[in-house]
Amino acid sequence: MVTPVIEVSGLCKSYGEIKAVDHVSFEVEQGEVFGMLGPNGAGKTTTVEILEGLRTPDAGSVAVLGMDIRREMRHIKAQVGVQLQTTSLFPLLSVAELLDLFASFFPKAVNLEELIELVGLGGSRRVLCRDLSGGQRQRLSVALALVNDPTILFLDEPTTGLDPQARHSLWDVIEESGRKGKTVFLTTHYMEEAEHLCNRVAVVDHGQIIALDTPEALVRQNFEEEAIEFQAPQHIPVEALEGLAGVTRALAEDSHVTLYTRSVPEAVSALMQFAEGHSLTLSELYIRRATLEDVFLKLTGRRIRE
Amino acid sequence: MKAFAKLLVANLREFIRERPALFWTFAFPVLFILLFGAIFSGAEETEFSVGLVIEDTSYAAQGFAEALGYVPVFKLHEGAREAELQALRDGDRQAVIVVGPGLGDAVARGQMGDINVYHDPSQTTVVQVLLPIVRKVVAEFERTLVQSPSVIRLNERTIQTHELRFIDFFVPGILAMALMQLGIFAAMPLIVQRQNLILKRMGATPLRRSTIVASSVGFRLILSVVQALVIILIGRLVFNVQMTGNWFYLIGMVLLGAATFVAMGYALGARARSEETAMPLVMAIQFPMMFLGGVFFSVEMMPDFLRPVVQAIPLTYLGDSLRQIMVDASALHSHLVNICVLAGWLVACLLLAIRFFRWE
Repeated sequence: MVTPVIEVSGLCKSYGEIKAVDHVSFEVEQGEVFGMLGPNGAGKTTTVEILEGLRTPDAGSVAVLGMDIRREMRHIKAQVGVQLQTTSLFPLLSVAELLDLFASFFPKAVNLEELIELVGLGGSRRVLCRDLSGGQRQRLSVALALVNDPTILFLDEPTTGLDPQARHSLWDVIEESGRKGKTVFLTTHYMEEAEHLCNRVAVVDHGQIIALDTPEALVRQNFEEEAIEFQAPQHIPVEALEGLAGVTRALAEDSHVTLYTRSVPEAVSALMQFAEGHSLTLSELYIRRATLEDVFLKLTGRRIRE
Repeated sequence: MKAFAKLLVANLREFIRERPALFWTFAFPVLFILLFGAIFSGAEETEFSVGLVIEDTSYAAQGFAEALGYVPVFKLHEGAREAELQALRDGDRQAVIVVGPGLGDAVARGQMGDINVYHDPSQTTVVQVLLPIVRKVVAEFERTLVQSPSVIRLNERTIQTHELRFIDFFVPGILAMALMQLGIFAAMPLIVQRQNLILKRMGATPLRRSTIVASSVGFRLILSVVQALVIILIGRLVFNVQMTGNWFYLIGMVLLGAATFVAMGYALGARARSEETAMPLVMAIQFPMMFLGGVFFSVEMMPDFLRPVVQAIPLTYLGDSLRQIMVDASALHSHLVNICVLAGWLVACLLLAIRFFRWE
């Protein structure tokens, strides 16, 4: 029996004319790693900051751990851990001092030494925050979110701006938290991150949820195809590509072309003939499974980044 | 309570690790004292060079000249009016006292006689030390004219016990200035924390805003007492400025002064979006206060059109009370007036800060 720990219904938030969050409803279950995936400005941060009690909604109801955010926010705050999108720390405090300080804000706290080891900052406990690298700072920020042994962990774009190695080490920490039974609510605009970490993903755009399911189901529902990508030397009309044998759909963005097909050999041989017939030299050709990126592209007509 | 204490310690750690903050809080006022003390201590030892012009041959005029001769720090130069005034302009005299013709006649008839003192008002020491001495001499002399001449010896002692050096006036003034600076910049860490989203991050914990403010203000108040002790110690060790008053009153006044300026700092920083926008505003307020609040120039020598400003700024009142407590200086206002003005500013600024402080 799973109980929803986050219940959002009809949530709205506008900044002047701009509807940052537009009638969003969803539930997050206990122990789930739930992701909000979307481009910048889609309303992810606004949504998560409302859940964290940092912004007040215009309309809709939000309950976290069964408590109403308008009336019982202080109780909620004691039981959740928060990492903000922009890492904000006291620059002149050391790692250990900062964790000790934040631990004092909560009724209960975890063992700080274990926490420092968990996030891999054991060698830097006396280093001042301003002297930490981007990856270390991000891990410290996650550690701060874990300091009160929260039931729910909110992570707003936890790996933005990190190099792949730092990103993977942070993923380990997040997965570890998930294994410990914590509910994780994270936002991201990285497809791989959502696919790798999340049990369920809400795809958001322009303040609305346009799809919500497990990453596998999202891909399966939208695509039975695989994707063939390549760089063309010049613009090729989409109609011509969609006429190729085995190709179900084609997308061309400048010189970058994506073909979707249920039969890769058929589509590839048709494409080769087409290229030869038109004297086109194709480069960077590769074949892959459809991903969330393709889902997003299909649902919105745009790529998620930029 | 645990969070309050931890935040207080965090403030302290950040403060100690931030070298410029340390410098402005402790080294800056101490440097001022050392600098000005050194400049003016020389003048003290070599006495005041005072020109004396006697244009009256009466017994009264001679008696007055004699009385001036008893003032140990005066080196008198008797001469003709023009010559002495020229010497004053040339900087060879700190003041020229002119006893015009007719003093004796006026006194004999029971009327007012005139004694003129010429001085350069830009010389703070003259205004703060020399003029009060002359005033005393005149007052005591006046009394001896009416009463028995044997009182004259008593005059000398009266003058000496009240003789305050420039540095005695200066150290309490610097303490007042230092408290002002400590307070008026008090909101800066909070503004920076807001700008860096540290306040936002703490807002996502059960921590109350009042705890954040209380720890920040509490830290400043502790700092103000430490700062007062450092300044008093330096004044004592280097220039032998004796703290003659009651320590309990002194600490009370230091805390009231610090609290007033902390509130002012919060009021000034309330609407500022960033440290960069708050800073010019704070500077624009603190510099006039520094120069008009009686720290460097005596309040008495301010031109009339600035009087309303001088009368309004809290630094004047804080400095006045600190001078009275620390070196038993003569009062501009009673302590009650000083405390009421400071408390008034405190409450007004506090209300503004609470009403307008921007948290996000």
